[in-house]
Amino acid sequence: MPQYLTILVLLFLLLGKGLCLAEVASQESWWALKPLKQTKIPVGTSAPTSWQKHPIDSFVAAKHAEIKLTPSPTVDRRTFIRRATFDLIGLPPTPEEVETYLANKSPEAPKQLIEKLLSSPKYGERWARHWMDVAHYAETHGHDEDAIRENAWPYRDYLINSFNSDKPYDQFVREQIAGDILFPENPASTAAIGFLATGPWDESSQMGISDGTIDKKIAQYLDRDDMIATVMSTFLSTTVHCARCHDHKFDPISIEDYYSLQAVFAGVDKVDRPYDDNAELADKRKQLLSRKRKLEKKLIPNDIFLKNELAEIETALLRVEKRWKILSSPSVSSSNGNIFKARPDGSFLSIGPAPQKDIVTFRSELDVEEVTAFQLDVLTDKSLPKGGPGHAINGNLHLSEVVVKVNGKPIKIAKAVADFSQNDWLISHAIDQNTDTAWGIHPLEGKPHRAVFIFEKPIRESKGKIIVIELHQLHGRNHLIGRPRISLTNISNPILEKILPLEISRLLKIKIADRTKDESKTLALYFAKDKNDRQLAMLGKQKKVYAVASHFAANGNFKPSQKPRLVHVLNRGSIHSPVKEAQPGALQCISGLSGRLDIKQPDIEGERRAALAHWITDRQNSLLWRSIVNRVWHYHFGQGIVGTPNDFGRMGDLPTHPELLDWLAFEFRANGGSLKWLHRTIMTSSTYRQQSTHRLDFAHRDADNKWLWRMNRKRLDAESYRDAVLQIGGNMDWRMGGPSDRQFNMSKGVHVTPNLDYIGFDPNASANNRRSVYRFIFRTIPDPLMQLMDCPDASQHAPKRDSSLTALQALGMLNNRFLVRQSERLADRLKKESPILKNQVIRLFKLTYHRKPNRNESRLVAKLARDHGLANACRVILNSNEFLFVN
Amino acid sequence: MQKNTSRRKFLETTAGGFAGLALGQILRAETANGSALHHRPKAKRVIQLFMNGGVSQMDTFDYKRSLEDLNGKTFDPGDGRLVESVTNSPGFKVLKSPFRFKQHGGCGRWVSDVLPNMASMVDDLAFLMSMNSPTNVHGLGSYMQNTGFTLPGFPCMGAWISYALGRINQNLPEFVVLPDPNGLPYNNLGNFTSGFLPARYQGTVINAGPSQSVRYLFPPKEAKHINTESEKASREVLRILNQKHLEETPGDSRLEARIQSLEMAARMQLSVPELFNLNNESKAITKLYGMDEKHTSDFAKRCILGRRMLERGVRFVQIWSGAGGPTNNWDNHANIHSELPHMTRQVDKPITGLIKDLKARGMLEDTLVIWTTEFGRMPFSQGQAGRDHNGGTFVTWFAGGGVKGGSSFGQSDRWGWKSETGTSSHDMHATILHLLGINHEKLTVRHNGIDRRLTDVHGHVVNDIIS
Repeated sequence: MPQYLTILVLLFLLLGKGLCLAEVASQESWWALKPLKQTKIPVGTSAPTSWQKHPIDSFVAAKHAEIKLTPSPTVDRRTFIRRATFDLIGLPPTPEEVETYLANKSPEAPKQLIEKLLSSPKYGERWARHWMDVAHYAETHGHDEDAIRENAWPYRDYLINSFNSDKPYDQFVREQIAGDILFPENPASTAAIGFLATGPWDESSQMGISDGTIDKKIAQYLDRDDMIATVMSTFLSTTVHCARCHDHKFDPISIEDYYSLQAVFAGVDKVDRPYDDNAELADKRKQLLSRKRKLEKKLIPNDIFLKNELAEIETALLRVEKRWKILSSPSVSSSNGNIFKARPDGSFLSIGPAPQKDIVTFRSELDVEEVTAFQLDVLTDKSLPKGGPGHAINGNLHLSEVVVKVNGKPIKIAKAVADFSQNDWLISHAIDQNTDTAWGIHPLEGKPHRAVFIFEKPIRESKGKIIVIELHQLHGRNHLIGRPRISLTNISNPILEKILPLEISRLLKIKIADRTKDESKTLALYFAKDKNDRQLAMLGKQKKVYAVASHFAANGNFKPSQKPRLVHVLNRGSIHSPVKEAQPGALQCISGLSGRLDIKQPDIEGERRAALAHWITDRQNSLLWRSIVNRVWHYHFGQGIVGTPNDFGRMGDLPTHPELLDWLAFEFRANGGSLKWLHRTIMTSSTYRQQSTHRLDFAHRDADNKWLWRMNRKRLDAESYRDAVLQIGGNMDWRMGGPSDRQFNMSKGVHVTPNLDYIGFDPNASANNRRSVYRFIFRTIPDPLMQLMDCPDASQHAPKRDSSLTALQALGMLNNRFLVRQSERLADRLKKESPILKNQVIRLFKLTYHRKPNRNESRLVAKLARDHGLANACRVILNSNEFLFVN
Repeated sequence: MQKNTSRRKFLETTAGGFAGLALGQILRAETANGSALHHRPKAKRVIQLFMNGGVSQMDTFDYKRSLEDLNGKTFDPGDGRLVESVTNSPGFKVLKSPFRFKQHGGCGRWVSDVLPNMASMVDDLAFLMSMNSPTNVHGLGSYMQNTGFTLPGFPCMGAWISYALGRINQNLPEFVVLPDPNGLPYNNLGNFTSGFLPARYQGTVINAGPSQSVRYLFPPKEAKHINTESEKASREVLRILNQKHLEETPGDSRLEARIQSLEMAARMQLSVPELFNLNNESKAITKLYGMDEKHTSDFAKRCILGRRMLERGVRFVQIWSGAGGPTNNWDNHANIHSELPHMTRQVDKPITGLIKDLKARGMLEDTLVIWTTEFGRMPFSQGQAGRDHNGGTFVTWFAGGGVKGGSSFGQSDRWGWKSETGTSSHDMHATILHLLGINHEKLTVRHNGIDRRLTDVHGHVVNDIIS
C-alpha cells in the first residue's frame, strides 16, 4: 500500500496540472480525498524496543528504518514538563510543579502529568488561541472603517469552553456552521456561529454604498468569499477560494462548486446576533415573539388574558387616569419666539421656528384644591426631527431646569423621576439648579417620555391660584421639547405611570356597554400588546454575539437579506459576467461523498447552512478528520505531517507520514472525535518525548527534521511569552471569559476608526493582567509588541505562525513598558520570598529555566543584581534565549 | 526569483538553518552582484509619496478642456453606460476645473496652477496619465494600490520588495513608513502589512510628531533602575548567558541569529538618533524642501528624513500625505476649489525639493521616486463644488532610476471619467519591480494553496516610461 501510494503520488507530481479535469471524473486519485481506511501498524522494525509499543512510534520508526535514521533518546523529566506544559496550557510549570513531577517516580508520571494538564481550564485558553489564528479572529471590522465589534468575545469563550469540555469534534464543527439551527435544545450554540463572522467586514462598502450598485454587490460577494474560505480551509484544509475566477487550477474544484458554496451563505450577513443561553428562556421568548407577530397582525390570542383580567386592567387604568388632570387651558409662551399650538390631547406642539435655546412657560389658573406633583409628557410628532420628541436634529431634547411658582411664590421640587434618562443626562439634573446640566433621552428618540416632579410640600387651597411652570432648555442646538403636556395630581405618593395614547385614553372613558366592537377590539389589542411587551421585557436582554444572521434591523445601506440573495456563477470572478444562477451545494470531489446538499426549503437560509454542516461532518468526509489531526500534530511538533495545514491540495505539501496521518484520523474518529484523546495519544509517544538535540549527521540528510529523528525546539509564541512573564512575576489575573481587555488608550479618530495608543497605556493597569487570549485584537492597529513577536495579521487565516528573530523584536522585548514593569515586579516577588540575594537568583532560575543556576551563572547574575538592582537581572533572564526557547 | 525564493524558503524553514540576520547577509551578498535578480536593476531603492484620499486628476495633471464647454450640464457619456457615484446622488452635473492650466517643460506637460513647483520639473517625471482602480471605495482602493488586492491581509509592495531584496543596511529596518502626523491613512497599518510574508518585512512605522523615532528604541523613562551603566552590564550578562546556552545546544542557528539581533538592536540605538538629527542639514537644504515655512514644514521634514534613510540604506520609504477620514486629506468631496490647494501647497515644494536634492547628490540615478494616490475623482460635481471618488482614472508619476523623464503613458476619455488605456495597480507594481531587477511573475510565495504575487495574476510592465 505505501509503495502503491508513493507511485501514485509520483505520477501526479510528474503529470502535474494537465490531469485536472480527468481527475474530476476519477475522484479517488488524490491522497487527501480518498476514503479513510483502517491502517495497518508496521511491525518488526529495527527500532529500539521502547519504539515498538506505541502506534505513532511504529509509523515513525518505519520511516527511520527506510532512510537509515535513528530516533533521539527520551528527554529528561525537567525538559519534558516544561515542553508538555507550554504545549498544553501555554504557560511554564511552576517550580513546585516541577519538584512534584520529579519526585513522582512512577512510570505513569508522564501520563499523569498530561491528564492533569488536560483537565486544567488553562488548556482551553491555550488551544482556543490556536483556533483563533486559523479562524482569523479579531474584534474589529478591518478595512478602512475599522469599527469595534463589542460582541465578538462570546465566540472566543465558546471556543475555550468547547476545548475544555472535549466536545466531540464533529459537533464542534457543526455548531460553528449552523449552531443556531441544529441545536434548538441548546440555544447557547448560537455563539458558535461567531466563527462565520470572524473575518473582516467592509463597513464603508456595506453601509455607505447604496444597495444595488456594482460596488455594493462586489462587497457582498467578497464578504461571502471570506466565509467560504474560512469554513473550507479551517475544516477541510481545502483552498476552495482558488476557484472564484475559474476552475481550480490544481485541485478538482470547479467554479460551479465555488458558487454553490456562495449560495449556501447567500442569506446571511455579519451582524450582532441576539441569543439566549438557556433553552427555557429561549422557548419562552420564542412563544412571546410569535405572539407579538400575531398581535402585529391584529390577532389576539385566546389565552393571553386570564378571566376578568381585562376588566381589572381597565379599572386600574381609569383610576390612574383620574388621578392626573391635564393642566386646564394654560397659556404657553416662549422666551425666544417659538409658537405653540394646542392639540386635542392637551399637549402643545411647537410649530414656530425652533430657536437654539428657549424657556417655555405654562401659566394656568388652578381648578383643584390641592396639588402634590406635576407630570411632564414629552410627546412625539411627525413634524419633529426623527419624530421627536425633541427638536434637535436627532430628536433629542435637553431640559436644563424646571421652575414652578404659585401666585409668584417659588415651589420647591423634592424629587423627579423619569421613564428614561440618557447616560449622564439624568432627570435629577432638571432640578439641581445648575443650568449646565440637563435631562436628555438619547438614544430613545422617536418615543414619548414622561417625567414626574414631586413637590416638597403639597400646595393646599390651591383653587383659583395661578400656577406658572417654566421649562428652561438652555443646552442649545435646538435641544428643545417639541410637544409638551403637563398634568397635575393631588395624590400623596404619585408614581410614574405609562403614557397612554390619546385614542386609548378616550376609549377607556366610554362605558363598556357603549363601545362598538371595533373599539373594544382596539382596547383589547392594546392591552394584549402591552402585556406581551411587559412579559418580554421581564425576560431581560438577550446576549449578543457578533455572528451572522438573515434578519436584523437595517443600518444605513446595510440591510438584511431576509431570504437568500440570488447568487450567480461569475465568469472570471467578475460581477459584470454572471453566467447562471448558482444553487446551494458542496464539493463534488470527495470520494464516497456526494456534493449534493439535501435542502428541502432552500428559501429558508438556515437550511442551507445546516445541510453544509452535515456534509462537512459526514463520516465519509475524509478531509475533515485528516485536517484536524494534522493541525493538532502541527502545534505539538511545530510542523505538521502535512506542512501546509490549510492546503491538502496539489499546491500544498504531501504528508511525510501518510499512513500515520490516516491512522490518527481513523482512530480519532473512532474515539468520538475527542481532541483530548488525540493529545494524550501524541504526547505519550516516544516520538514526542525525544530530545531536541542537534545531530550533525542527520541534519545533513534531513535539515528540516521531516522524519522526526529529534524533537523541534520552539521559540515561545507571543502569547505564551507574555503569559509566562505575567505568571512568573506573580501578576496573573486568572479570571476567565467576558469582554476583552483593551491594552491601549483609545481616543476619537479622524473618522470611524479610533486612535489607539499602545505605548502610552499604563503598564500598571489591571487590563494587562489576564491571559493574552483575552487581549482585545484590533485588526488594522495591532499591538506593536505582539506583532513583532509574530502574532499574525488577523485579516488572514494563519494556520502557521512565523517565529522570527529581529532587532526590532529584541528592542521590543527589552524596552516595552509592560515587560519592563513585569521585570520590576518579578524582582519584588523574589525579594518578598527571600531576603538573600543568592536565594533570589536560584528562585529566578527555577521560575524561568526550571533549573538551578550553576556557580558561574549564580555569580554573574548576582553581581548584576548587586550593582544595578535585581530588576535588571530579571529583565536579562526574561530576555535570554534559554527562557525564550523550549527544548 | 523563483529559484531564489525557494532557496530562501529552504533557508528559512530549515530548523537549525539560517534565520534573521544571517539570511539578510546572504541575500545582500547575492543582490550586490545582481545574481539574485532576474535582470540588471535600474534602481536600488524606492521612496513612495502617497496622497491619501484620491487626488483629483482633472484639477492637477489631466487637463480636460471639454469640461469647460460642458460645465453645469448633466453628465452624459451618451452610450448608455451606467453613471454611478458612491456617495453622491444622481443628477450629476459636469464641473470644470476651477484652476488654470499651462503647458510646462520641454515635454509640454499640462499642469494646473496648484502645483507650481512640480510643474517646473515635469521633464524629470514620467507620467502614468490614466491608471484605473477596480473600486470606488477608499479602503479597497488603498489596499489595491498598496498590495495588489482589494481585500485586507495581503503583503504590501514595500514588504514584497524588502522580502525580495533584503537589507542594504545592518543598522536600520529595510522598510520604513512615515504617516501623516494627523493620523494613519485608510486601513491604518493594513497598508503596511507583510500579510503572509514573515512579519519582519512589515513596514516599520516611524511616528511623526515631536518624538519621531523607532518604537521601543530605548527603555521607558519611568524605569529608574535602567541607566547607561546598567544597560551596558545587562547586555554583557545577556550575551554571556546566551553564548553559554548556544554552546550547550549547538547546531541551531536561530540561537545565534537571536544573539546577532540583540547586537543589531544595540547598533540601532546609535544609528537611529543620528538619522533623526537634522541639525547637520544645511540651511540651503531645509529651505529647498520648505522646512522653514508653516504649510510645508511637516512634509518637508519627512521628505528630508526619507532622503536620510535612503542614504543610510533603507530599501523602501513610504511617506503619506493626509490621514484617513473625510477631511484634511485629498478626499475633496465638498469643495475642490478650497480643499485641493490646501493639500497641494503642503507637498508641492517638499517633493520638488526632494527630487532636486536627490539629483544633486547623484542619488536620483538609482532611486525610484513614486507619487501616487488610490484613485481619482469625478468630472461632475458633488454638492456645489466637490467631486466624488472615481476609480475610472487617476494619475501617478515616477522619477529617478530607470525612468524616462518627460515621458508619459495612457490617456483618459474626454471627460476624465474613465481610462481609455487602463493602467492597473498591477501594471504599476510590475513596472516598479522591473526597475528593481525583479520579474513580477517570478516573485512568488505559496500561501494557502496559491502562489501569490504582488501582481496577482495580472500586470504588464509599462515600457513607455522606462529609459
